Parts: sequence; C-alpha cells; structure tokens
Amino acid sequence: MAELADILEHPFQAEFQKLPGRQDPALIQQLRQSGVQRFTELGLPHRRQEAWRFTDLSAFTGHQYPLAQPVPLAADRLPVRSSADAIRLVFVNGYYSPSLSDDLSALPHGVTVTTLSAAAIEQTDALTSALGQAPTVADYPFVALNDALFTDGVVVHIAAGAVLETPLELVYHTHGQAIAAYPRNLIVLERGAQATVIEEHQGQGRYFTCPQTEILLADAAVCRYHKLQQEADEAWHLGSLRCYLSRDSQLSAHLLSAGGRLSRTEIIARLDGEGADCEFNGLSLVEDGQLVDYHACMEHAKPHGSSRQMFKSILNGKSRAVFDGLIKVVEQAQKTDASQTCRNLLLSRQALANANPRLEILADDVKCAHGATIGYLDPDALFYLRSRGISEAEAHSMLVFAFANEQLESLDSPGLRQRLEALLVERYYPSNL
Amino acid sequence: MLKIENLHVSVEDTEILKGIDLEIRPGEVHAIMGPNGSGKSTLASIIAGRDDYEVSAGGIQFLGEDLLELDPEDRARMGLFLAFQYPVEIPGVNNLYFLKAALNAQRKARGEDELDAMEFWELVTERMRRVQMDEAFLKRPVNEGFSGGEKKRNEILQMSVLEPRFAVLDETDSGLDIDALKTVADGVNAMRSPERGFLVITHYQRLLDYIVPDVVHVMMDGRIVRTGDKDLAKALEAEGYALFRENPEPAIAQHA
Repeated sequence: MAELADILEHPFQAEFQKLPGRQDPALIQQLRQSGVQRFTELGLPHRRQEAWRFTDLSAFTGHQYPLAQPVPLAADRLPVRSSADAIRLVFVNGYYSPSLSDDLSALPHGVTVTTLSAAAIEQTDALTSALGQAPTVADYPFVALNDALFTDGVVVHIAAGAVLETPLELVYHTHGQAIAAYPRNLIVLERGAQATVIEEHQGQGRYFTCPQTEILLADAAVCRYHKLQQEADEAWHLGSLRCYLSRDSQLSAHLLSAGGRLSRTEIIARLDGEGADCEFNGLSLVEDGQLVDYHACMEHAKPHGSSRQMFKSILNGKSRAVFDGLIKVVEQAQKTDASQTCRNLLLSRQALANANPRLEILADDVKCAHGATIGYLDPDALFYLRSRGISEAEAHSMLVFAFANEQLESLDSPGLRQRLEALLVERYYPSNL
Repeated sequence: MLKIENLHVSVEDTEILKGIDLEIRPGEVHAIMGPNGSGKSTLASIIAGRDDYEVSAGGIQFLGEDLLELDPEDRARMGLFLAFQYPVEIPGVNNLYFLKAALNAQRKARGEDELDAMEFWELVTERMRRVQMDEAFLKRPVNEGFSGGEKKRNEILQMSVLEPRFAVLDETDSGLDIDALKTVADGVNAMRSPERGFLVITHYQRLLDYIVPDVVHVMMDGRIVRTGDKDLAKALEAEGYALFRENPEPAIAQHA
C-alpha cells in the first residue's frame, strides 16, 4: 500500500486506514489503489482550474471529513415512497441498513439486487465484470476519491429480457458533523432488460457525501434513472454518474437538486452502439447561499445515436447555478442527433448563473443544437395573466411553478412525479396547496 | 362606461398619443381604424394597464373609477378585457387551468362563488363550441405552439368565459383567414348586449363587415382625426388613409 503513504499529508489521509477493505477481492483492491493514485495526482480542485472556475470549494477543502460510521436512523426520517410497490434499500452514512430496507427475496426471475458489500464477498459476475467499467471523467477527483473509499451501495443486475416492473428506490441518508460518506452503485441491464431506479440523497448535519453510480446498458436495454438530491442545508454533495449505452439502448434520467450548500454532479454518457438514445432532464431549485453545478458530457461514439440534455435552474436569493455541457461526436458517429439546453430563471438580483455549452464535432452529417438562457420572469407573460384578473403574486407563482413543472412532463413514474410536483407546489406555489 | 379625456401618452420621451378624447357607452361598439404606428395599440395597452408607458396628461374613467390608478388585475376584475394583438405564450401552464384560475380570481373579487372543476368544464366546453375550438386546446399550454388563428380564437374564448363588461379587441383580425374571421366575429356578436361595450381596433375595414360598429374613429399620428358611423370605414377602405394625411381635419367628438 505504498500509494497510501503518498497522500498522508492530505486531509483525507486518515480515512484510507479505517476502510473495511482487507477482505476485498483483488478487483476492488485494484480499484481502490488506482483511485488513491489518481486522487493523489489530481489533488483537490481549486478555482484556477477551468472546470472549477465558478464553483468555489475553498470553504470545503479547508476541513477534514473523517469517514462516517454507521448510525441508527428512525424510520420516520425516510422520504415518502415514490410508489406503494417500490422496492426500497436504505443506506445510512454509506452503510446498508437492513432493518429499514425491504425484503429482497421475492424479486422477479432474472432480477438480482444486492448490496455492493455482499456482491464483493460473493464475487458476483455483475460486479467482477462491470464495476469500474463505465466511461469515466479522468480529471474529476471525486470519481477517484469514491473509487478509493466507497463503503457500500447497490448492485442491480437485470438479466437479458427481464423486466423489473416496480421501481427500485435507493435512499442514502447521511447524518453527522464533518463526516464523509462514499456510496456507490452499479446498475447493469443486459440485452433488452428494463428497470427504473430512483436514487435519493438526504441527511442531517454538516457532512460531505461523494456518491458514484455506474449504469451499463447492453443492447436494447431500457433504463429510467432518477436522482433526487435533497441533502441537508450545510452538506457538500460531490457526485458522479457514469453511463454506458450499447446499441438501441435507452436511458431516461431526471435529476433534481434541491438541497445542500454546494452540490455538483459530473455526468458522462458514452453512446457506444448505433441507435443508442439518452435524455437528461435536470432541475435545480437553488435557494439563498446554495450552489448547484452540473457538468455533463455526451460522447457519441457510433452513428444514429441521440442525446437530449435539458437543464433548468430556479435561483433565489444569493445563489448560483453552474452548467457545463459538452457534446462530443467522433468522426464515425454520423447521423447523430444531439441537443443541449440550459435555462436559468433568476428570481433575485443577487442570483448568478453560468452556462457553458460546448460542442466538439468531428462528424459532418449530424444534427446538434445547443442553447442557454439566463433571465428573469417574462414581464409579458406576467402582464398577460394579470390582465385576466390573476393577482401579481399568483401570476408570479404560476409562472415559476410552470417553469419547473415542465421538467416533470417526461417523467413516467406517476408516483414520483406526484411527489415532485407536490414539492414544487409547496416551494413555489403555496397558494395552490 | 369608458371615458377618455385629453389623453397624452409617451414612451421614452416620444409622445405617442397626443390628446385622445373618446366616450363609449354601454351597448355601443366603437371601432378605431388607423395606419401602423398611429397609436392604436398603445391606446389598447394603456387601457389594459401596461406600465411601460407614461401618461403625461389626461385620464381614463371606467365605470366612474380612475382606471389609470388600478392594477391590471383590478381592471380585469371590474370587467375590462383586452384581446391581445400578440397573445403571449405561457409554457407549462395549461389553458384549462389558466382560464379557471382567471375566472375564479374575478368571481372571488366580486364576491361570487368560485366554480368547481365540473361547473367550469361545462361552461368552458360550451363556450369552445361557440368559437369552434377543439377541447384538445384546453390541455395544451396557453398559446404555446398555437397558430396565429388559434391564438386569436383563444382570446375570444377567454372573453366568452370571462364575460367582461367592456372589451378591447386589438387587431384581433390580423392574420386571420376569412373563416376564422367569421368565427371570431360570431363570438363577439354573440356577446353584444345593451350592458356591454366594445372597442374594436383594426387596420382593415373587412372585420367591420362582420362586427358592425356604431361609431368609427380614424386615428392618425396619436390623434383621432375623424369620427363617423360605419360608412366612414367604407369610405376609408375606398380612399385610403392618404386622404386624412393630406387634409387633416379637427377631431369631431360626436359622443363626447
């Protein structure tokens, strides 16, 4: 473990020694070691780096975040179920909580859901063949950090042609002061398999969480993935989502950010088969003192792929939203159809949004569109509503709610949609409760 | 019911309306015709309550109240309606929800019971048949992706549902084919009554074949330069605005 010695001077140094990793199989040991090495090379980000120009981590990097320990959690702290039949797994401080989780013994044929720690002991095929195999973001230190330190999470494997009808709900609760949690998930859908996964983050205290999820879709697999970030007000959330899409596979993702002091999710999707299709719908509800950052990269590696990114933010008080989106199309990925839109609604004069859409297109027969808007509520729309007798306050609420609610239109989990709609009404349209 | 006296309005130091006098009584339909840039739409916006204009002199009384002191929503609640020249698209708000919210806001302000979903549905579908709109429009966001004609029909639908005491139609005919024009006119004519007033602003005489006005005003360069009956519109159609440009006559305030 010579690599560990290299980072002894680092604030994270103490964690590596505490990790329950001695029984890890060789695969995981390698992953951890390579994580340590890459993290040591990259170091913690600072604002002189282009990718961190608008996202200031200086208040984060000055502190130590010892690895969180498992703690008990009262069941009433858990979020409302997204649907009555959802299968729920709960992790507290990055550790599995069997008592708060549903029984996994009655899953349909072809569907395997286990904890990552159990999969590691059993050395399941899903784990050994797929963990760490999704495309990565080489310069993002928090992928490396999670590789080095992940504690537990979920491994989902859906066999070829199998369909998991009920949504799988993964809840990550972090609880404590100045502690760190490193959850990790692996979602593998074989040929033609289908599943819906909801990943939820919440907590109490001033903690740091560094989640990582890998999604690997074989030919014609269909995955709906929804991530809800509703961390505690003082929390740091620095996560990553790594996706690999084979031929004709589909990924539909909805990403909500509504909590945390600073949250960033780095997304990469490689469309590595003809006809692969993905969409990312981001919705950030950013309040005073908060920052939400999405960095998304769509890599079109094969022809006839399509990707759609639509990221919206609503900014209140002194808040900030950062979006950096890249569409990459390699030379052979002809007939790619990619779009990228970032829309920011400013509700205060102190709010700030940065949008950085980028294209790197080497193929010559593609359709790529991108656009970004940053602005206040449309005065013409406000006037139109008021001219019909709707009060100014009501018109305001109606428009803000509508701006956000549009992002839920493509969400085809009715229960989850209802939950999120209720959240939007409560926050932006209280007169309509 | 609407009385405009010596109204002067400017935008960024440019005077657009240079002393308008106009009175419309219940049951009357007035038309204002005029070339582009004559100030017709500014007048409509001022009546409805847009605040990006400066009124430098004069005023507007509506049902005895000082209209310019009221917020747009309060004007609407008193029974004022503007059919917009360019109806605004409102993504994410569906038409049905919007219409119900508007009607109930007005009813509430007048101390009437709000309509529940069922009662409102009956009302709105009945009014939709009047303007020959498909129910599918209720599920769509307000004006979003509507054609020009569909937007104008939607304005008339809103008017039919809200049943204002006084309505301003700002170039509701522009961009309409003849069938749509007839539908819109039928929608307006169905609402004509001895208690209700209309101000129809148009660029073309054609609309006035279908909505026959009691009084026609010609507006040029921020002033009403001629007032007459429906034949004035026909004369205008035949001779054009040039006549008024070359021989400006003092405004004849027939109804003042």
